[in-house]
Amino acid sequence: MALDKLTGENSILFIRSEQLFDWARRHSLWYMAFGIACCAIEGLMHASGPRFDFDRHGVFFRASPRQSDVMIVAGTVNHKMAETVRRLYDQMPEPKWVIAMGACASTGGPFREYPNVVLGVDKVVPVDVYIPGCPPRPESVQYGFLQLMNKIQGQTEERLAARRDAHK
Amino acid sequence: MQPDATLISRVLADAGIAVSVEDQRVVGPVFRVPASDAPSALRALKESSHSYSFLVDLFGVDTGEAIDVVYHLRSYVFDEEVHLKVEHGYGSTLASVWELYPAALMPERECAEMFGLSLSGHPNPKRLLSTDAVPPLLLKSTLIRTAEEVRNR
Amino acid sequence: MSDPRSIVSHAGWLTTEPPAEPVTLPASLKRAPSGVNELMTEHLVVNMGPQHPSTHGVLRVLLELDGEEVITGEAVVGYLHRGIEKLAEHRRYNAVGTLMDRGDYVTGIMNELAFALAAEKVAEIEVPRRADWLRVLLSELNRLASHLVWYGTMGLDAGAMGQFLYAVRDRENLLDILEDVTGQRMMFNYVRPGGVVNDITRTAEVKIHRFLKTIDRYLDEHDELLGGNEIFQGRMRGVGVISKEMAVAFGLTGANLRASGLSFDVRRDRPYSAYEEMKFDIPVAEEGDCYARYLVRMAEMRQSVRIIRQCIDGLPEGDFTAKVPKILRPPAGEAYAAVESARGELGVYLVSDGTENPYRMRYRPPALFALQAGEALLPGVMLADAVVILGSLDFVLGEIDR
Repeated sequence: MALDKLTGENSILFIRSEQLFDWARRHSLWYMAFGIACCAIEGLMHASGPRFDFDRHGVFFRASPRQSDVMIVAGTVNHKMAETVRRLYDQMPEPKWVIAMGACASTGGPFREYPNVVLGVDKVVPVDVYIPGCPPRPESVQYGFLQLMNKIQGQTEERLAARRDAHK
Repeated sequence: MQPDATLISRVLADAGIAVSVEDQRVVGPVFRVPASDAPSALRALKESSHSYSFLVDLFGVDTGEAIDVVYHLRSYVFDEEVHLKVEHGYGSTLASVWELYPAALMPERECAEMFGLSLSGHPNPKRLLSTDAVPPLLLKSTLIRTAEEVRNR
Repeated sequence: MSDPRSIVSHAGWLTTEPPAEPVTLPASLKRAPSGVNELMTEHLVVNMGPQHPSTHGVLRVLLELDGEEVITGEAVVGYLHRGIEKLAEHRRYNAVGTLMDRGDYVTGIMNELAFALAAEKVAEIEVPRRADWLRVLLSELNRLASHLVWYGTMGLDAGAMGQFLYAVRDRENLLDILEDVTGQRMMFNYVRPGGVVNDITRTAEVKIHRFLKTIDRYLDEHDELLGGNEIFQGRMRGVGVISKEMAVAFGLTGANLRASGLSFDVRRDRPYSAYEEMKFDIPVAEEGDCYARYLVRMAEMRQSVRIIRQCIDGLPEGDFTAKVPKILRPPAGEAYAAVESARGELGVYLVSDGTENPYRMRYRPPALFALQAGEALLPGVMLADAVVILGSLDFVLGEIDR
């Protein structure tokens, strides 16, 4: 068991419940199977394929927003799509995270000059991790997920530190 | 696979359509017919002995003075391709030819939306690609974002 | 008893005698068209997409259902409209390839090739023979990669999962080769007007030889895994039949057209690059159903392997690009060039006005026409078949919306 590895065999672990939840969340980030454009082939298809195999990080796809923790915005978001992206984000249960994958989702990318394109998905939903590249390699997406895991851990520690300070 | 220009002209003239032939350097002969006669010209070509029954493409070109709608037809019987150009004024009406060529359904909607034309005789004359209140995007008068606008996003 | 119909089982279930008096339905209630379902049903509008695992992108289909039967289906597109045609008017000729790549993002090389051919036609550039062969070689590698995406997702639509992982395994090998030659896994920007960007590398040749050693066995494996599966055949056979007349009327091209019995292939009938020198067959099927489209595509993959073999064995020596100025200013004129992409005839109609930017670039999307045919097939089919029909037509939304 992973907990055994963390604390030694037959040990007793005292942990705050929120810390335990965050630890669990960090290691099972299920993303929504929602590919918009080219990045979907790299970030969703090849990522779950045999070579990159995100499954070993606990990163796996779910078809429904109701069951997912992470939304990978993989592609250009235009004005027609923006409404749908927002609606899908609203349907996801808390806590939820967004990864803007590729240049288009981050800033508009090669299509930034076209009036119909939204300049970055952060105009529509809050973004946690930006992955550069057009399209990013699956390794980059993997690194993005590791960054997101660090971020979740960092948030727990920040929260705990803030509470310690308040009790001082 | 360029067609015999005189033969096509004769087919169109027999149908009572005023046709002029432009000889393009690469594409070959391009036939220009008045906008009001476009559906009957397509019907004549489709029902001619060469049977141009395949619509390869339908699109518009903003020439600066008007919009040229290009019908690109192919005959699988004779292995020939014909380009037919129809001039439409800005904001005029594009008559649908979907009964002759069902393939034209979506390209017509796209063409009308992108060049600010209105459709007549179309079963579903809605916008195809963009949402309401988006200007006709492929017109030369619709400008793209400047570098300044992009930088200050 | 006002309504004596059974509420647990359907008509004919364990009944040996006809009911004493025939039940007459009130005229205001519509009977289901299939006749199997004796329940009175209401029409239900179901919105499939834009986020749906089986729409291959961001397609939205508005389905009006009566029970499980589709009454009408309307495809709503435009969720990926990024203005490739408009932006091409503001790019130099060498830079349009970046936009073309992102059109049909599964077949980048062929999109670039279509534009490069049109630009070469209008600027009257002669391409060196080696560049032509390299273009063909990379097109066919790309076609294999594209058909593998289709193979994997088609199985997903029909309810299988394993073949997807096998398809991705082979695709990784193909992308390795393409990356070695072009420097990118998907967005190559490799084919430019006048030739290609760089020569094929030594390591890529080794990788291609290694790939060719295994691919035949892998293709047999794919055939057995999905094509030989009885359930898969049951889902595909006789579903979504497109007649030859309908295929022509709706402007279908490529494998979809050839599965309906009309043998037209741009590579053979309007040869471009080095296809005239290649020996390959055009697979044709007569049935026009989903299974015929599956068979034609699988047979096409074997022909692609055949062309790759010829290319790598007979690659001529010489330059990989013609001498083309950095800023290309073709004389005014119009040109149409088409390539056989994995989805059908991908055409580019280019209008030049003598400046360094194209005046108008029209991208003929083969998948848009396939989608129209798919939409026309929907009325009267079962909901589960609708997914299979749309999947078998193999469209990519990046190309439909551009």
